[in-house]
Amino acid sequence: MKNPIMKAIIGLVCVYVFLKFILPLFTAPIPSTLIFLYLSLTLTGIMLFQTMSGGSLDAFMGPIHRFLAGWDGQPGPSKMARLLVLVVFPLLVGWQTYTKLAPSDLPPAENRTIHPAPPGEFVGLSNPVPKTETNIQIGKGFYAAKCSPCHGANFDGKGPASVGFNPPPANFSDPGTIAQLQESYLFWRIKKGGVGLPVEGMPWKSAMPRWEVELSDDMIWKIIMGEYDGAHQAPRTWEEEE
Amino acid sequence: MLVQRGMLWSIVLLILGSGLWGTSLVFSDEPLAQEEKKKGVSVRLYLTDEPLPANDPMSTVWNSVPSSEFSLAPQVHWQDRIQDATVKSVKVRGLHNGHDLAILLEYQDPTEDPADAAALEFMVGEKKAHFAHGQKMLQVEGGPVNIWYWKKENGKALDMSAKGFKTLRSQDHQDVSATGMWQDGTWRVVFSRTLKTEDGHDTQIEPGRWINVAFAFWDGKIVDGEVKEKGSQKAVSSWWSLRAEPPQDNSIYGYVLLGIGIAVGFELVLVRKLRKGQKA
Repeated sequence: MKNPIMKAIIGLVCVYVFLKFILPLFTAPIPSTLIFLYLSLTLTGIMLFQTMSGGSLDAFMGPIHRFLAGWDGQPGPSKMARLLVLVVFPLLVGWQTYTKLAPSDLPPAENRTIHPAPPGEFVGLSNPVPKTETNIQIGKGFYAAKCSPCHGANFDGKGPASVGFNPPPANFSDPGTIAQLQESYLFWRIKKGGVGLPVEGMPWKSAMPRWEVELSDDMIWKIIMGEYDGAHQAPRTWEEEE
Repeated sequence: MLVQRGMLWSIVLLILGSGLWGTSLVFSDEPLAQEEKKKGVSVRLYLTDEPLPANDPMSTVWNSVPSSEFSLAPQVHWQDRIQDATVKSVKVRGLHNGHDLAILLEYQDPTEDPADAAALEFMVGEKKAHFAHGQKMLQVEGGPVNIWYWKKENGKALDMSAKGFKTLRSQDHQDVSATGMWQDGTWRVVFSRTLKTEDGHDTQIEPGRWINVAFAFWDGKIVDGEVKEKGSQKAVSSWWSLRAEPPQDNSIYGYVLLGIGIAVGFELVLVRKLRKGQKA
């Protein structure tokens, strides 16, 4: 293939297909803004390459120049395509101006931090309650009475009271929640509740009760054990991190 | 050669520009934004020139106003909590005329009882307030809340303030009206007020600006000689967003025309230069 413009287009399409469809087979899908960035970089690279010498410049830009300028006796389809480009570009600019300036009808996005850093006194505490079957069962009993209305009898965040709250209660069976956290973190969150969150956790929205008002530390530690056991998760420990 | 380079970069700009615009059109709607749109998770007070049905929950005007529905939960956040509440969800409609507003709450309650009640809650001022009566937060200094409360047996609204539990009180200046009608298992309660008030304890609603709103409902049915839901025993929501629709801003069309004009001008100059270059 000699036509450098076609090469450039094929190159861009290949990069797009690779990023959009092939790479996600091996890793997480790539956000479209990132794909857009990569495509822009690819295009810039192609442009730089094509402008390196006078010859490549002519070969690459010549047909574009001729197409945009038009010429006498230009065949019908080519003439129509040129007209289309010249008409569509200003319309695109107009449309884009409109979409950028039109007032948004959506509420402002809120970047809530789901697991903000705990206060110092809650870092690295270890569960003082012996991990016995009896204590786990006691913890599950407290969980059923106090936590399951929101967090669910199946530890999946789908209790009967969960539907009214925004953000919704945490789903403990999801490997992205308590499995990522240490027991001391849960101790903080249960003891101090939603109102104990720092500003990035948006404490004003959380319905999590401040359980220290009603439960002893001993009960909270047992609930933590019951929660991990019931959700079939294990707490993150220091040993694993080292 | 220099002229050619200049033209080249003009074309590069043209291609990159239209590429940027074109692709940002394609990429502008991320999946998350689409999901949020579908949920309709906010209350919109639509701007109207017609008289507001401020005291008439049954007005046919309401039928033409789109509603947003919010799920409710039994109040489990603080004592005395309940495990089940009668009202499961509420449909909310809103209108304003630039000066006054009316918000209609429509919800299912099988029985009409004197102690049936409904409330709207708003933050007051710039500081965020906890949805539970603006209760104290441990790491963040919160603000107060303004509660608009209606109870069937009172037949009117109460304009209230709170900043923390056990601080709820009726305001000196009463600025809110409310009327409720029960029919076939459905309450329709309309609250109305001016968008802005002189009272520092009130929420102020400015068209175009998003604020927070929460809901609460009490089923006043008598069960075993006791009112089923009262005080902190109620159906609640946490904060959602509310906005009074801003007036149409026509200056945007001027900018659109300006954008199109600049693009056409750019094309004319470019084509002219290219033609000259070809002739040379």
